[in-house]
Amino acid sequence: MQADVIIDAKGLSCPMPIVKAKKAMEGLQPGQIMQLESTDKGSVNDFQSWVKRTNNELLKVEEDNDVFRFFVKKS
Amino acid sequence: MKEMADSITIEQLHQKMNQDDSVFILDVRNPEDYSEWKIEGHNVQSMNIPYFDFLDEDETVYKDLPKDTEIVVVCAKGGSSEMVADILEEKGYKVRSLKEGMAGWSQLYVPVTIAVDEKVKLVQFNRLAKGCLSYMVVSEGSALVVDPGRKIDEYIDFAKQENVKIAHVMDTHLHADHISGGIDLAKQTGATYYISSGEMQGSDQPFEPLEKHSHIQFGAVDVEILAMPTPGHTPGSTSFLVNRKFLLSGDTIFVGGLGRPDLGGKAKEWAQSLYDTVFKKVADLPDDVLVLPTHYADIKEINENGYVGATLGDIRRSNEIMRTTDMEKFTEQVVSAVGETPPNYERIVGINRGTEHVTDQEAMELEIGPNRCAVHHQ
Repeated sequence: MQADVIIDAKGLSCPMPIVKAKKAMEGLQPGQIMQLESTDKGSVNDFQSWVKRTNNELLKVEEDNDVFRFFVKKS
Repeated sequence: MKEMADSITIEQLHQKMNQDDSVFILDVRNPEDYSEWKIEGHNVQSMNIPYFDFLDEDETVYKDLPKDTEIVVVCAKGGSSEMVADILEEKGYKVRSLKEGMAGWSQLYVPVTIAVDEKVKLVQFNRLAKGCLSYMVVSEGSALVVDPGRKIDEYIDFAKQENVKIAHVMDTHLHADHISGGIDLAKQTGATYYISSGEMQGSDQPFEPLEKHSHIQFGAVDVEILAMPTPGHTPGSTSFLVNRKFLLSGDTIFVGGLGRPDLGGKAKEWAQSLYDTVFKKVADLPDDVLVLPTHYADIKEINENGYVGATLGDIRRSNEIMRTTDMEKFTEQVVSAVGETPPNYERIVGINRGTEHVTDQEAMELEIGPNRCAVHHQ
């Protein structure tokens, strides 16, 4: 999946992955995609909840080698 | 310069819950995690606003927050609550952030003395966040610990304070919802570790089979510990009758009901042995025996003396299932009321049996969250 912006939040713990995600989303146009990588397990539930509340779309969550990759489309 | 909000430790929060008329908790985890598990107390008022809602400049987020009461902000590990507390502090709220969050809260054990005379002292350790209970019986320089949790220093420190040596450690059964500290506590103190051997198949850990003992005595006085096999929750569940006055019932009989029989995949058969336990083995015990379980399902079960426990008479009166003598009805009710399975229970069972090994961090994460072993049959 082609992302318009890629954010590295690996090694950061809550709340930083979401704080970084929010900042990145502010710079995007509707329809554009952000990719964020996190090693914080707690960020999985938080992302799902945050995306719902901000009316964006969580396209996909991948996990490989303890890295979670979130793809969020701006509405 | 930016204001930094103060923090509050789990011990200080617990003290505040005991002292103050009311405690206001703002839980900033996501709503899903919050609905699953939160800090509760009879005087706790709790509100959930996820931390990411505070990232927007949206004043409506603040509309229900009190200006005149201290707000304790809570999250999973203490990072997000600090951020939210700082934001609130800047806006003029009286606020503190709970250090280590729910992860820390899950490690709080509160000792409460249930009974004491010149020879015997019985203490209940309440792990508030999980509704897990464990016990220490102290007599004449020795101590027995039943169903210890992972944080074994709690028992070691308490024994030190009491100036006694932990000589016996027992698990009523192989726990499925939390990691036992039994084997480690016994190793560290040189105590004997007892558990029913039916629970330990495939284990290479040292243990003394409970079924070999009908009595375990310690101290100069005769503290009688009667191991009573009470299968039902798991096939090797055991209860301990202390001085014929206190029934440490494990996960078999709770203040608010009975244990769940389904975790071994043979719910029906186990429900039937639970029936035998209730109507044959426990039936002979008098109404004034105090039942002290390993779990509770609701903070309402903490009584006015600050501990979880009720007399057999009260439990028989208030739980219909304890009077349901029709075996078919009994089985049906017990099997149908089991609810959600404890998370990670298969791995936790493996760890407690000694067939699976994990790091401290993994252990902490595996058993975090509420307990789901107690079942309400109301």
